[in-house]
Amino acid sequence: MANHSQFGFQDASSPIMEELVEFHDHALMVALAICSLVLYLLALMLMEKLSSNTVDAQEVELIWTILPAIVLILLALPSLQILYMMDEIDEPDLTLKAIGHQWYWSYEYTDFKDLSFDSYMIPTTELPLGHFRLLEVDHRVVVPMESPIRIIVTASDVLHSWAVPTLGVKTDAIPGRLNQTSFITTRPGIFYGQCSEICGANHSYMPIVVESTPLTHFENWSSLLSS
Amino acid sequence: MAGEGDSEPRKSFKLLGFLDVNSVPCSRESVLYGSVGSLVVGLGHFLATSRVRRSCDFAVGGFICTMLGYWFYCRYNLAQQRIRQRMLKEGMRNKLLFEGSSLDPERKQTGNEGSNS
Repeated sequence: MANHSQFGFQDASSPIMEELVEFHDHALMVALAICSLVLYLLALMLMEKLSSNTVDAQEVELIWTILPAIVLILLALPSLQILYMMDEIDEPDLTLKAIGHQWYWSYEYTDFKDLSFDSYMIPTTELPLGHFRLLEVDHRVVVPMESPIRIIVTASDVLHSWAVPTLGVKTDAIPGRLNQTSFITTRPGIFYGQCSEICGANHSYMPIVVESTPLTHFENWSSLLSS
Repeated sequence: MAGEGDSEPRKSFKLLGFLDVNSVPCSRESVLYGSVGSLVVGLGHFLATSRVRRSCDFAVGGFICTMLGYWFYCRYNLAQQRIRQRMLKEGMRNKLLFEGSSLDPERKQTGNEGSNS
């Protein structure tokens, strides 16, 4: 989860998020180079006398056409690579459904057993000591780690969005539509997210908690819940 | 006791307010090498031509080229290292999983060597 006053990304817990963070760093470095150039040119312009006797500027026009094209290519190529990588869904081990309601999420694991449950935020008054305010839920989404998971997101009433920043997942939940996304958690842990589409009075109070566990623990959990 | 010998967490240092050079891999070295490159190119040009304005232009160009050049070189090496780490991790896990079993690649290799001799 994010710390207070955190400005940057959370640590990545999925390969896609790792790629996104790397691309972001790459884009920032290109932005730094461009900003340095622009600052220098600005300082130069401020120090020079104004003059209108330039009639021909073939070289500089060539430079400021080709250079931005190169910069755009430098940014577009990795961006497109990641975009297509995000769309790959390679034989998921598990498919689960997330349904947005006002104002909670419900999850269905229907691959092997009919397992479904609702996930409500734990109110602050009932929160145990040391737990995170407005982020904890009564039933977490448990997934096996290092396994491709497909999640189908929809909503029952208004628009919602299922988002977990550390996994690099954000998928709109639209009534009457099934949106599909996938992720792989690279390590065990508890990953927090929040509804990311305005959906009414309690939009800020319907968090998402994904718990990534080794496969044996996941099997024990699903047996326990379905019994 | 936890904490003994641990260095303090590095404070973030944001260049131009947005690039945190302490937390982004390769960024600190890129900016430092860029600065050195800028000095070398700018100073070298000035010593050769005694033109201040043009030397400043070369210095800025040198900064950008050196910084971006080292950045791509460093990130490429980092990506290769990450791939090697993943392959190593996968190999170690497979070794633990399959050691002694019929799927053990080492056993298959020694089995082939025995049948060939």
